[in-house]
Amino acid sequence: MNPYVLDLITASPEVLVLAMGCLILILDLFVKDPSHTSTFVLTMLTLVGAAILTLFTSTGEVVYAFNGLYVDDLMGDLLKLVLYLTAIVTLFYARPYILQRPDLRRGEFYVLMLFATLGMMVMISANHLLTIYLGIELLSLSVYALVAMNRDSVASTEAAMKYFVLGALASGLLLYGMSMIYGATGTLSIPEISDALVANASNPTILIFGLVFIVSGLAFKLGVVPFHMWVPDVYQGAPTAITMLIGGAPKLAAFAITMRLLVSGLLLLAPDWQGMLLILAVLSLAIGNLAAIPQTNIKRMLAYSTISHMGFVLLGIVVGVVGGDARFALNAYSSSMFYVVSYVMMSVAAFGVIILLSRAGFEADRIDDFKGLNKRSPWFAAVMMMIMFSMAGVPFFIGFFAKFSILQAVVASGQIGLAIYAVLMSLIGAFYYLRIVKVMYFDEPIDESPIVAPMDMRVLLSINGLAIALFGLFPQTIMSLCAFSLLRSL
Amino acid sequence: MEFKLILFYVLSAILVGSSLGVITSRNPVNAAMFLVLSFFTAGAVWMLAQAEFLAIVLILVYVGAVMVLFLFVVMMLDINFDRLRQGFWSYLPLGALIGILMILEMSIVLGGQYFQVLDTPLPPELANSSNTKDLGLLLYTQYTYPDQVAAAILLVAIIAAIILTYRGRKDTKRQVIADQVAVKAADRLRVVKMDAVKPQPAVTAAPESEAGDGAAK
Amino acid sequence: MLTLSHFLVLAAVLFGISVIGLFLNRKNLIILLMAIELMLLAVNTNFIAFSHFLQDLNGQVFVFFILAVAAAESAIGLAILVVLFRNLSTIHVDDLDRMKG
Repeated sequence: MNPYVLDLITASPEVLVLAMGCLILILDLFVKDPSHTSTFVLTMLTLVGAAILTLFTSTGEVVYAFNGLYVDDLMGDLLKLVLYLTAIVTLFYARPYILQRPDLRRGEFYVLMLFATLGMMVMISANHLLTIYLGIELLSLSVYALVAMNRDSVASTEAAMKYFVLGALASGLLLYGMSMIYGATGTLSIPEISDALVANASNPTILIFGLVFIVSGLAFKLGVVPFHMWVPDVYQGAPTAITMLIGGAPKLAAFAITMRLLVSGLLLLAPDWQGMLLILAVLSLAIGNLAAIPQTNIKRMLAYSTISHMGFVLLGIVVGVVGGDARFALNAYSSSMFYVVSYVMMSVAAFGVIILLSRAGFEADRIDDFKGLNKRSPWFAAVMMMIMFSMAGVPFFIGFFAKFSILQAVVASGQIGLAIYAVLMSLIGAFYYLRIVKVMYFDEPIDESPIVAPMDMRVLLSINGLAIALFGLFPQTIMSLCAFSLLRSL
Repeated sequence: MEFKLILFYVLSAILVGSSLGVITSRNPVNAAMFLVLSFFTAGAVWMLAQAEFLAIVLILVYVGAVMVLFLFVVMMLDINFDRLRQGFWSYLPLGALIGILMILEMSIVLGGQYFQVLDTPLPPELANSSNTKDLGLLLYTQYTYPDQVAAAILLVAIIAAIILTYRGRKDTKRQVIADQVAVKAADRLRVVKMDAVKPQPAVTAAPESEAGDGAAK
Repeated sequence: MLTLSHFLVLAAVLFGISVIGLFLNRKNLIILLMAIELMLLAVNTNFIAFSHFLQDLNGQVFVFFILAVAAAESAIGLAILVVLFRNLSTIHVDDLDRMKG
């Protein structure tokens, strides 16, 4: 068969999403229905189709396509499957929210969501500096537009502008770093960069010089301290449905490119980038947890909580290789991956509850809006409690095992002090999560109006909440999947 | 000093000067003009590095399209120039200090031994082929996949620009063809049954002419 | 003789100027966008210099894509600017202080 056709088969999930994105854009012009139900259904079918194609094209081997620009491996397949699931759940939760808001209630919303998903898929499968850059930009440009889509809201457009300026700065830093890596190794392909480093054909000073810029750019995109300024403002200002998108799936893609760039490409420089990531992780754990305490806006609080969770993810990547000893690498990286997956599950659920309580003209984004939720809806107060307990790391929810496995990896690498510091910071963090629980159960409701969300969203949100508790009882299933996929990929 | 080196220094001086102009201009229109100058000179510097195609694309795309877009926005928005400068001088010392330190550090690394590579003439197979043709061959063979992704990015930019700034005009009158075709006679014309002859009002004292009008009705 | 360092130091100076520009013009969003363009110009100059001295065209292809993406990016940036301006009737970062904490 023509090799180009084989490439297209390998990349068929991307091809499907791109083709359907264009098709839905055109079909939507003929949709009269103001709620764009058919567009919504087509978008869902596209994501399900992409999941099926990803499952069917997964060989379990590492397959390169398009002259080594694209890689299909088990890590990518697993992350993509979680990505589709997250996108489907995000769209389900977002639907009642956007239906109540005329500026968001447009067919382009779904098209931009699909293109953002495509951007993340490109990032996850990137095997070349150029594909990493293009994936990031496709994701970012779609998300800038989505944040600004609520165009009569000052807060949203302001958030979009901040996000845009800092995102463009981050791309600039990342590109400068990439140009240095290119100059030092003479290649843009990640495996070839790794080979050039092994052959010791490049100058270490220049590589580290480029690495500083690459790590700064990645830190901006991950939203870790001291490159976190945009996170709280964007989380707060963006419409909740879009905040849910920003706070969920892109973390999977960011994890994937961090692994591909730093671990697959620049593993020989591990002592250098581990030092940089360690500083970022330590600062993020401190600032994220401390700054979340005084917040009165729950979206802003979740933004700081994201920063601290990303700090944890970085900890797992930091302790992978110790002094040239890669015995614990697999364990450390797979616990990071497990953390990202479980974080995305919790984050989407938390924003789902905020959307559940909001209605036309009311955002439910203040912590006060959660007062007395138990009296209004005991079941969803319980769901929110499970999410908060899980984020705080209370045993036996999924968040506990995520934190536990990272700490295990840190201890295995011999950095006991670091592990104790991380535990201390999570204890401080537990305070603000438990405050939400306290407010829900022990305060009198301010807002007595009934919850208006549709049935399908209630059911899905309940399943999501139960999954957090259920996978907390059987964390080994996801954990071993992560470990297996990384073992077959790296 | 050879001619190429002199040319490089002259162009660099213009490039650095005009870039400084961009960031210190009081008026955004001036800044945009300085940016145009920067792009032109950068194009010339790229020519020195034998990237002819990209140098021309830079000038066509940036000066021709992007800067025009910038100028449109600057002209369209009614800007209060004095307020824009607030805080400029208070940020200047710190900003300049950090920037100059950064430039010095970067220059020390980049000016070091490792990069003292001399400008060797291109090997004949590269020197005799067209830069544009070589780039095109790479772009449409090896780089097909990024090409498609870049197309998606441009599509997203189009969608975004339209949904963000386009608001349907309020004073336009649209035809809905489907409604026009589906229209039935009954929707447009109402046939009212009326008596063919109205009974004469029983007025006898009225003048002749008024009675005639009444009959005409 | 013209060396690789000449180009790289020029790009570094441009990069530094654009960072200073981002610092100084925090209130003037249009000039912020222009400073970002300058930063990409510096990156592109780097890639072109490396591409020339390594005699490898892949760097030039990368620049080609950066140019395309940057044009799309500035179109979106200006669209957001216009929308924001309609809402605020002013474009100073100064006024972007609804969210603090």
